[in-house]
Amino acid sequence: MISEATRALAACADPVLVGVRHHSPALAAALPSLLEAAAPDRLLVELPSVFQAWIPWLGHPELVAPVALAAAGPGDALGFYPFAAFSPELVAVRWAVARGIPVEPFDLPPHRRTEDEEGPAGPAPGLMAAARGEADEEDWWDRQVEALAPGAPAEALRVAGLAYGLAVRASGGRHLASDLAREQFMRERLAAARAEGARRLVAVVGAFHAAGLHPDPAWDPLPRRSRPLPTAGGEPVTSLVPYRAELLDSRSGYPAGIRDPRWQEAVHEALQGPTPAAALDGLAARMIVEVGREVRRVRHQAGTPDMTEALRLARGLAALRDLPAPGRREVLEGVETALGRGEGLGRQRVLGRALEKVMIGVARGRLAPGTPRSGLAPAVEQLVKALGLPGPDQLGDPPKRLQLDPLRGGLDRRRHVLLRRLEAAGVVYGELEAEDEGRLSRPWKVEWSAATEATLMGAALLGPTPAVAASGALRAKRPDTEAGGATGAWIGWLMAAAEAGLPAEVEEALRALQVVVPEQGSLAEVVAAIGAVDRLRHGHVAGLPAEGDAADVPGAVRAWRSPLDLDLLRDAWVAAAVRAAEGLEGSEDAEEVQALIGLVRWHVSEGRLGDGRLGALLQRFSDDGAAPMQAAGAAGAWLLGRVDTASLATRVAGWVDTAADAEAHARLAGRFTGLALAVSTELEADADLQRPLLRRVVALTDDDFLRVLPALREGFDALSPAARGRMLSAFSLQLGGSGRVDALAWPPEQLARWALRDRRAAAQLGALGLEVAPWGAQGPAAVAVSEVGSTPAGSVLSALDRWRLILGQERKRLQGRAGACAAALEHGYGGGQGEGARGQLGGDDPAFPSAREWGEALGAAFDAPLREEVLGRAASRGDVGALLALDPDSVTPSMGLLETVLSLRGSLSEGQLGPLRRLVARCVEALSRALAQRVRPALSGLSTPRPTSRRTGRLDLSRTIRKNLHRAVQDGEAVRLVPEQLVFRTRAVRAMDWRVVLVVDTSGSMEASAIHAALMAAILSSLPAVSVDFLAFNTEVVDMTDRVEDPLALLLEVSIGGGTDIARAMRAARERVRVPQRTILVLVSDFEEGGSVPRLLDEVRALAASGVKLLGLAALDDDAKPRFSTAIAEQLVAAGMPVAAMTPVELAGWVAGKIR
Amino acid sequence: MSTEVQNPPPERRFADELAWLAAWDGGARPPGWRLTPRAVVAFVCGASLRLPGPVDGLPDERTISGKFVGDRALVERAVITLAGERGLLLVGEPGTAKSMLSELIAAAVCGTSALVVQGTAGTSEEQLRYGWNYASLLARGPTAEALVPSPVLEAMQRGAIARVEEVTRCLPEVQDALVSILSDRRMAVPELGEAGAVEARPGFNVIATANLRDRGVSEMSAALKRRFNFENVPAIPTLEAELELVRTRATVALQRAGATAPVDEQLLRALVTAFRDLRGGRAVEGWAVEKPSTVMSTAEAVGVATAIGLHGAFFGDASAVPLLPSHLLGVVLKDDPKDRGRLLAYWDGAVKRRAEVDPTWKLLYERRAELEEGSG
Repeated sequence: MISEATRALAACADPVLVGVRHHSPALAAALPSLLEAAAPDRLLVELPSVFQAWIPWLGHPELVAPVALAAAGPGDALGFYPFAAFSPELVAVRWAVARGIPVEPFDLPPHRRTEDEEGPAGPAPGLMAAARGEADEEDWWDRQVEALAPGAPAEALRVAGLAYGLAVRASGGRHLASDLAREQFMRERLAAARAEGARRLVAVVGAFHAAGLHPDPAWDPLPRRSRPLPTAGGEPVTSLVPYRAELLDSRSGYPAGIRDPRWQEAVHEALQGPTPAAALDGLAARMIVEVGREVRRVRHQAGTPDMTEALRLARGLAALRDLPAPGRREVLEGVETALGRGEGLGRQRVLGRALEKVMIGVARGRLAPGTPRSGLAPAVEQLVKALGLPGPDQLGDPPKRLQLDPLRGGLDRRRHVLLRRLEAAGVVYGELEAEDEGRLSRPWKVEWSAATEATLMGAALLGPTPAVAASGALRAKRPDTEAGGATGAWIGWLMAAAEAGLPAEVEEALRALQVVVPEQGSLAEVVAAIGAVDRLRHGHVAGLPAEGDAADVPGAVRAWRSPLDLDLLRDAWVAAAVRAAEGLEGSEDAEEVQALIGLVRWHVSEGRLGDGRLGALLQRFSDDGAAPMQAAGAAGAWLLGRVDTASLATRVAGWVDTAADAEAHARLAGRFTGLALAVSTELEADADLQRPLLRRVVALTDDDFLRVLPALREGFDALSPAARGRMLSAFSLQLGGSGRVDALAWPPEQLARWALRDRRAAAQLGALGLEVAPWGAQGPAAVAVSEVGSTPAGSVLSALDRWRLILGQERKRLQGRAGACAAALEHGYGGGQGEGARGQLGGDDPAFPSAREWGEALGAAFDAPLREEVLGRAASRGDVGALLALDPDSVTPSMGLLETVLSLRGSLSEGQLGPLRRLVARCVEALSRALAQRVRPALSGLSTPRPTSRRTGRLDLSRTIRKNLHRAVQDGEAVRLVPEQLVFRTRAVRAMDWRVVLVVDTSGSMEASAIHAALMAAILSSLPAVSVDFLAFNTEVVDMTDRVEDPLALLLEVSIGGGTDIARAMRAARERVRVPQRTILVLVSDFEEGGSVPRLLDEVRALAASGVKLLGLAALDDDAKPRFSTAIAEQLVAAGMPVAAMTPVELAGWVAGKIR
Repeated sequence: MSTEVQNPPPERRFADELAWLAAWDGGARPPGWRLTPRAVVAFVCGASLRLPGPVDGLPDERTISGKFVGDRALVERAVITLAGERGLLLVGEPGTAKSMLSELIAAAVCGTSALVVQGTAGTSEEQLRYGWNYASLLARGPTAEALVPSPVLEAMQRGAIARVEEVTRCLPEVQDALVSILSDRRMAVPELGEAGAVEARPGFNVIATANLRDRGVSEMSAALKRRFNFENVPAIPTLEAELELVRTRATVALQRAGATAPVDEQLLRALVTAFRDLRGGRAVEGWAVEKPSTVMSTAEAVGVATAIGLHGAFFGDASAVPLLPSHLLGVVLKDDPKDRGRLLAYWDGAVKRRAEVDPTWKLLYERRAELEEGSG
């Protein structure tokens, strides 16, 4: 049904109106014949008039699409117009240029569309499309115009396009005040063209604008603007640049994109052929086949029947919808229905990726030879000149050093942002010499070099101004949310975009992080994300001043207001951080302890006492966590004010008492490590916190003290030597000594320097009217010795000496036994790390020449088990020599020792490995015997079939007859049986073999679980009717199946360490599955996926869907205290893999339960 | 005898619409179909149509009621699928009207929605294939008379659509009985010899429904999956639509139970909002919400609304809203104790924020203590 208005538009001859969409295969194919028919003497296209000079180059026959026209003011990009081969405007321009017909871009230039003209004046476009039952306007256009293309005459398409534009216009949608201004300008240009003598005008404009150009306003549903148009000052810089298909696709987020360029281009080609409908049908088939091939390439199923079905569906839908051939939408629907398998996001994502790859393509544009140079390089040259930075004239000059203070604003901010943008665009020009967020001024080294010019040329492909190019370069490096490490990558990307002053990208990063952080972020990452958002909120990033923070800087940046509610975002992330922390119960990692405490401190500094969850979590950690987390939990609860100082202090002191055996010593060390990492400053400063601990240590006898000494020393070793020095001096005050007296150990000239500085500072404070307490007014003897008590009678080691030993400080002041202990321990721990590690504070005695001598020294200082323990712990810190000092035959086999040896294995030579093999063999044998004894009962009786009374449909005739003989009745000749109880056969399935696939993460942190998994593999494989596969993985996957029966060999082959790519391991496992219903897959991992999380989930979903019994184990050891990524684990659970932490016995029970 | 029934099947309820549509589109039908695909879509989604030429006893113009309020393209795909060689599997969360859709399509395509197998863990192969009248079998041996056909077998014989509800609740071995039916389109009955095989007549196909997210469902084998086209029936897109659905269903349920008072509107809105927030992991306002592991289905929302309504009707409580927290906890807390923490987090986040501006939510926030452990 064609309306009167449409007819009027179509009949208009002055100008002839062609209403298009900027990318439309249908109209692009129809345009040449439309233009032939109209035979214009001037062609007007809806492009800003500032592009006039580029028209010959745009229409040049040697130009290869995609290309883009861009206009830019001094700072911002003003307009960006990409063209593909199927852009009607490009086709029209080419047609006219080839025939020598003048072309006039007649749209209002973007710099004259002033701000007050902007602002939507109608309902949002999406709403309108929804009202018509279409997903959006693009679908609407597809339906109304593109779908007609095969077979319809060109004129019919033109009319359909006009009708579409009129409909959009009549419903008042999508019109900005500036649209009306643009139409006014276009009408003025048309009048001017007529005045210049053009008689046959053709206007190629967006379908929406067509009615606005009709000479008779009666046909225009919108009011016409007639106020004078705004004028503007500086002409924008324009450029014509080659472009790329990926950027053209709207999913790239780049401006003015379209969907699926390759598909559209192929449609354009098909429409130009003699039999468009058949060609389109062929195109649909080809695309479907390519998608299937792409799906198979990532090793998911997509067979020929699937693709046949997809094509049948696409054709069927096209017929149902009255289309001559399947379109883009029908192909997509066919593919998703026939290949999607309803597996939700998993397979959908695989399909989505395949579709993207096939439908977007990789086309590259090229300009015609001789096209004038334009774009980035001239723009940058102009900018650096304006900002007083080195330019092409300074080529070859030495680098210029600048101290910029960007947060003050003005010139510095503009320079800083320009340098950041060029940096982001990959242009070699400025180099930030020190990246320090805490400082206000930034040292830059800036040089215009040959490399600058070369890289500028490369970056020019990305956009015509530094801002656009930076945005393009960032987009090319846009983190893949589906790849590994997405959270960290997005945080980096966010800050790069923020520094470069790119609000759109910042918004995108924030939106991505909004999703990624809660789903994938580790605690440290979440805390980092919170920090990044805090910096943005406070306007501490030069590129994006927060509103009210600093005045706008014209041409560089504008005050920024986050489109997202950052407070809300931050709150959500704080919740995510708490959740991420929940998986860290079993963590012994210093960074994670620090991240947890960082979260607690953030709560304290924001004045929040944490909702119940953080408190409950800290409480749980302090009760049940691994040793460092226990301490961190207790300390965190104290920081939050949930427990008082006295109870924390009492608890800490109590830890010293619990150290009964080697394992307890390790726990003690861990607890003090956690405590030191969490609250060292508070411990240094708060006497109430110190006193119970000091009292406790003082009250120990010498022997008891020596027993806990290595553990305490190790605990405090988490601190830097300087921090330990400060702590000793704080403690010595409490112990009746004086911090200052100890300071006399410093060289006199150093003391003199300090005294001088003190005096100067005092003088300055006095000048400011501040009083300084006179020297010595507060005597050190204020604390009485009795407060911490004294050492038991008969003790040789004084209280202060004890703390010197624990803190590894002032060794020279230790005499006798204390000195020997200190020397032996010093060798194990060295000077420590961090502040002061190489200063005078650390030990400078020569180390023992060999591990054996050291072992002897240890033996002299401590008793035998303790010696073994110290050596073992030294070995676990990477000291191979310490291991060799152990005697394989007398050592007590323990999981810890085995872990140590195995983790060091990679760094040992074959010669060193020889003796250790015996050590390992002894441990493995002892441990696996013990384990087998505990596990066997859970696995007994697995292969015995059990009767069932379920009606399976397989009648057991003979048994039924036997059971019902009493119901037999004589019926004439025959005997009839009227059965009362039916007996059925059980399924044969239950007696068949099961396969257990153990997929074991051997990346760092999982040693204990990996060892237990190896031992369990051996035990399980000894069962009848069970075969065991063992896949060890970090970033590589190694099949150890042929070693499962010999755990020693297996363990010696597995190398611990490296990253984690669980998805890859799961894929390897999936390929090994033969009979899914009788396969059990146990994944032992901490789920800290270094690879792609979505791919991991895809694999898990595929496995779960195939019927494999899945189990994820966050920990497999006797404690079953897991340390894992809760965010990813939760997604795994949703994907069909239950996650638990189990002891070996529990695992055996679970496996047995599945098999029975 | 009264002919009134609680819920007549669509082929009876909409018999006149079906007859009219048969006359409306005289185009080619897939073999064995009663209507053209176009007419089936019109029947399910609704349309205002006009007959191409006059037909005796039928009005020229007619409005076909819209029975399924979802995506029309989804229905189109479903119908096209049935005309091909694969079965149709409708998947989605509970309460997304999958079963209703399958009934409607079956009624329109073959005139009956009654050939249905309800999948449960106890469903046996004979319910999908055939069973025996064992007495007759033992007395007379395997004969065609002793054979008890399943709805699927009957559909094959009649060239009709068989429906299998909740197919993933059947054991995998049982599900796999469908593989050969869908690929060979014949069912062998070895006991009767070669002559006993049943070959499907044109028009036979299977519509199955499944909750892939439901707990405790069996998986489907890859072989079976390949024989189905999957259609994901999405959750109800808007709050208002879901609100309307819950209101209608709860009212019906209340009436059936003899309670006449309307359901409290504020309660409904809060209830549906909370369900949607927890289901989607995002509050209406855009705040992040932690999803509990439980399925928060529309059907359960109806259940809660009904239960609270009944409570009000029979115990005469003044306000229904304060009952909501404990009911919500009952829905959320099924198998993961951590879900309690998640619900509390929802209360401390979204509910607390809303409580600042909205009295209904304030009332809910004040009841937070009921969610804490040990509150009974």
